[in-house]
Amino acid sequence: MAEQPLHEHTLGNGLRVVVCEDHVVPLAAVNIWYGVGSRHERAGRTGLAHLFEHLMFQGSANVAEGEHAALLESAGATFNASTSFERTNYYETVPVSHLELALWLEADRMGTLPAALTQANLDNQRDVVKNERRQRYDNQPYGTAFERLCALTFPAGHPYAHTPIGSMEDLDATTLEDCTDFFATWYAPGNAVLSIVGDVDPEDTLAAVERYFGGLPAGPQAPGARPGDLGPLDGVRGEEVDEEVPSPAYFAMFPLPSDGGNDIEAAELAVEILGGGSGSRLYDRMVRRDQIATEVWAGVTRLAGGPSLAIVDAVGPDVDKIAAVLDEELARFAADGPDADETARATAQAERGFFEQTETVTGLANALSANATQFGDPARVFTAPKRAAAVTADDITEMAGRWLAPGARTVLTYGGAK
Amino acid sequence: MSGLTLQPRPVPGPVPAWSFPVGTEGRVTGGPGTLRCDLPGRRLAAVRLVLDAGASREPGGKDGVATLAARALLEGTEPGGGTALTAAFERIGASLYASADLTALRIALDVPVPRLGEALELFSTVIRRPALADSDVARLVNERLEEIAQEDADPGSRAARELRAVMFPEAARSSRPTGGTKESIAALTGADVRAFFSSAVPAEATAVVAGDLSGTDADAALSGALEGWTATGDSLQAPDTIEPTAGPRIVVVDRPGSVQSYMSIAHGVPNRSHPDWANLMVASHVLGGGLTSRLNAVLREEKGYTYGVRAGLLRMRHCGLFITQGAVHTEVTADAVSDALTELRGVISRGISAEECGSSVRALADRAPAEYETARAVAAELADASASGLGPDYPRRYLEAVRAATPDGVAKAYATHVDPEKLTVIVVGDAAQIREPLEALGYATVSITAKD
Repeated sequence: MAEQPLHEHTLGNGLRVVVCEDHVVPLAAVNIWYGVGSRHERAGRTGLAHLFEHLMFQGSANVAEGEHAALLESAGATFNASTSFERTNYYETVPVSHLELALWLEADRMGTLPAALTQANLDNQRDVVKNERRQRYDNQPYGTAFERLCALTFPAGHPYAHTPIGSMEDLDATTLEDCTDFFATWYAPGNAVLSIVGDVDPEDTLAAVERYFGGLPAGPQAPGARPGDLGPLDGVRGEEVDEEVPSPAYFAMFPLPSDGGNDIEAAELAVEILGGGSGSRLYDRMVRRDQIATEVWAGVTRLAGGPSLAIVDAVGPDVDKIAAVLDEELARFAADGPDADETARATAQAERGFFEQTETVTGLANALSANATQFGDPARVFTAPKRAAAVTADDITEMAGRWLAPGARTVLTYGGAK
Repeated sequence: MSGLTLQPRPVPGPVPAWSFPVGTEGRVTGGPGTLRCDLPGRRLAAVRLVLDAGASREPGGKDGVATLAARALLEGTEPGGGTALTAAFERIGASLYASADLTALRIALDVPVPRLGEALELFSTVIRRPALADSDVARLVNERLEEIAQEDADPGSRAARELRAVMFPEAARSSRPTGGTKESIAALTGADVRAFFSSAVPAEATAVVAGDLSGTDADAALSGALEGWTATGDSLQAPDTIEPTAGPRIVVVDRPGSVQSYMSIAHGVPNRSHPDWANLMVASHVLGGGLTSRLNAVLREEKGYTYGVRAGLLRMRHCGLFITQGAVHTEVTADAVSDALTELRGVISRGISAEECGSSVRALADRAPAEYETARAVAAELADASASGLGPDYPRRYLEAVRAATPDGVAKAYATHVDPEKLTVIVVGDAAQIREPLEALGYATVSITAKD
């Protein structure tokens, strides 16, 4: 879609609302970010934010168990939710005729979730989440790599040292009271942003939001989060993973600047140039020329309340060789920086990434919620291509030197099939 | 909850009308058929070229050559060209991707609309004179071998491989992995790849271009890119059309220490040209299409055995497979299979209610505007319809057929094409723990296969 003006409003109870017209398809995307994720969990209750996300589909005062999904499925909606370090996100894209139904469903669970919370629902969704953990992480080769890297990168007890899925022990220990407390603490309208994008009239839509959400009490202010910052690493901390996997593999994590400033723009382009796809330096060197790896990839997870994270992973028989070549390439990059073509390519790819991220109503609604929640400015989403284009080769070189230096990362190695 | 005021539940009006976009057909002189689809507002254009050179037309003993050809295309037009081709596409914000499945070799180009012409010029060189060099192919062989090891370690893809091996007769290409086996891949050379790609007939291909094409002469750009491209190799053999066989059977792929079992339960069905396809889609959705489907209501929401199961139809050119699949906790594996079998029988014993049918019809048909919101999604679907010989109006006809489905029609189609007593059940899991309970189900003999 083309860039459209945004209509912003804050309800009396603190709920922030962003509306954007997009008349390309007769759809409406509804997206709510609650400002709570795994970084807000306390010790002994890892996984609670995500487990709670599941409970949000189990009914509320006026929505029976299973009815939320039934109403949306039979409306041809696509819907889901996700929990990350920093936020929990609920979304549905509906035929525009069903926008008010979607708003009503979201308002009911924002206002009345505990009315439907039962021990049976908690026990059932705990089992579902434990199976999610098994399916996505424990029963997959290399499946726990990200979780292990976070535990290596951050000091014990740091808010980003554990990932949203949590531990089996903590999931088992979670009580109904934990869940009601969690809701009371974090799910107030003032800790949420609601974005709506689609074939809508902005004034009518804001009025509908006022109608459905305006009657929810403000609730308490969300507690401040513990500081999440972490500087560049000053050495290599590693772990050899004793796990049955098909082939030896090497994983590395580097903290990067937090999202929101100029530094992350340059740092992300640096990582893209190093390892973003088959045109990148690491791929060309390790896979094409030296043939010491059959696969190498690098990417960035942007985080606003803590360091963003770069990950490099490579599959190849000799992980020491991979580590040595990685150091060489990092040193060369930090010394010489990118050439003009590399910078131009990375910028062009960032623009296409922006188009891909925002061309659907679902994607744009999510990006608006993200920017409103994390930076107080939903329209920041539209500046992404400009921010990338403003990065110079010198900026990239400087960020590479500071954050992607050789010999400063956390590392996991897998030995391969026994 | 003091001060809480809620509104009554709103009653939605009718869903706005929407039809799948129809393209304008054309043909490059002496070359591929074309389909141009103007989608206002879509700033990213998509080009999808499908060649009738899928794995089902691979020469005997050359399993995986279509997959390797697709990958070798991305290596560019000069032997050992390295990053040159990728860089050229990246520079204009484009991306090029190619893959093969049983039906087709598919080449995908995405690019911002203003640079479509430039991207098509590059695309043209890739199609007309790819290097497909020995050295690149040798490296891609190694990468593919590694990838096979990774696929076999993943429970879901290991189950998919076994399902086809068990259901299709040995003579069928469909019985073997699309991307080849370790043995077949290790024997492939640059010459094999060049011979295969040069046999793909341009006149049997279709190129779809979609996006906001106002002010762009997309037809001319396509013609410029593809006119004069010719096939120089021997004809490829006719596609494999051998049908899947019926069970009942249970095959355990032993994965010692597995904390979950991946179950895949399947039955052969007709292909998409059959009038019952839409009915079978609705039946699949009732069974395992969403959180409220019959299978998830029991296995996930009632019993917590799984993060989720799904039922659906696998599209193949000459047939379809009705597959129910998902990962379940090891200790409840046999109970989960038993519950799944009960639900799969239930469509016949209990039928389908009007409410279930209506809900699934709306779920399948009314989500289409969101499913096909991007030029990429529209172009890929139109190209796939063409590759499968269904014609460019197929997606629209399919959605109309879904809307016309009735509870009786759906249940009857299911009973006609799916025999719940003759299913093939694949379970990838820890045989030492799950074998006996599966045998105790009494559904079929249980055989054990090694993981590799």
